Amino acid sequence: MREKLQSALACVRAEEALKAKTLAAVSQKARRRRGRPMAWAAACLTLLAVLGLGGLFFTPVSTISIDVNPSLELRVNRFDRVVGVEGYNEDGRALAQTPRLLFADYAQALSTLLSSAQMQGYMQQGEALSIFVACDDERRGAQMLQKVESCAGSGQNVHCHAGQWEESAAHAAGLTCGKYQAFLELQALDPTVTPEDVQGLTMREIRDRIAEISGKEPQGGHGACGGSGKCAHGGH
Amino acid sequence: MDLYADMVRRLCLIHLKNQADSEDVFQTVFLKYVLSFAVFENEEHEKAWFIRVTLNACRDLLRSFFRTRTVPLEELIDLPEQAPPDTRYVLEAVLDLPEKYRDVVYLHYFEGYTAPEIGEILKKNVHTVYSLLERAKKRLREKLGGDENA
Repeated sequence: MREKLQSALACVRAEEALKAKTLAAVSQKARRRRGRPMAWAAACLTLLAVLGLGGLFFTPVSTISIDVNPSLELRVNRFDRVVGVEGYNEDGRALAQTPRLLFADYAQALSTLLSSAQMQGYMQQGEALSIFVACDDERRGAQMLQKVESCAGSGQNVHCHAGQWEESAAHAAGLTCGKYQAFLELQALDPTVTPEDVQGLTMREIRDRIAEISGKEPQGGHGACGGSGKCAHGGH
Repeated sequence: MDLYADMVRRLCLIHLKNQADSEDVFQTVFLKYVLSFAVFENEEHEKAWFIRVTLNACRDLLRSFFRTRTVPLEELIDLPEQAPPDTRYVLEAVLDLPEKYRDVVYLHYFEGYTAPEIGEILKKNVHTVYSLLERAKKRLREKLGGDENA
């Protein structure tokens, strides 16, 4: 029986046509399927690149804090675009609603803010404008300060300065980075002053108190940091 | 392909009843082989892989949604044309066996595997394989005649 089975099954062979057909179909399908991982890899890489670039775009690397009475901050990404606007008091929140700030170049956004009717009104009342550039990269901070100074223009009431980007302490105190710097200056002269005391004050009032205690003229104009672009360091 | 094509064809024959299904399984098996990352220790290992993959492909085809809900036009067994008339009745006797006996008969009588080896390939208990072989032998003897040593 073994021999019978063996000789009968030995007669069964894969036909040449079947082999040829299979070979052709397998080659075609294998080529197509082998291409799939490459296509997937390319798609994944593209997605990662998009996510990575998106992450970079939406991550702020510096903050421009603008304080008069309105207190607000512009968060700026590494591409010099505004990716966040936050008001720190009622006036600041109203000003943060100014159109065309988000995703604009920070210099352009700053010009838009400074030329707004609300801001012009404050400046005409003789209020002090403080613009503080907070950035960890000293060179970048200096470049930004230069641009900010040219946007803000000259004036006794304009005070532009730059410093380290240590916003957590300022935000924990409910102040913008710029106002927090002014608070630290005041606190150095009067240790009894608390962040709550300065929250409701305009920059003019804070500057006047500093001048009053120190006996110096209120600061104003550009180069308040000695032209180095560095005068105040947040979080001190 | 030449090395295992005949074996795959025989396994297809004992499970499938028409050429079209055999072609499907052929393509499935060899495509899996081409795309597989399996590392074979030796030729025997590779052969066992082909047997397992072919049997699984046949089962998958028979179990497929389409096949379970349709009646094939050609229910006749598609025996190869090259089979001489005196061997056709042997093949028909094998194909008349219940499906569970066909694999063990083929692997034992044609490929020369022992019961433990068949158990390993088919993932079956060796006692089950012995018992399947015994019953298959009995049925085949009834149809084909032959001695005990078959």
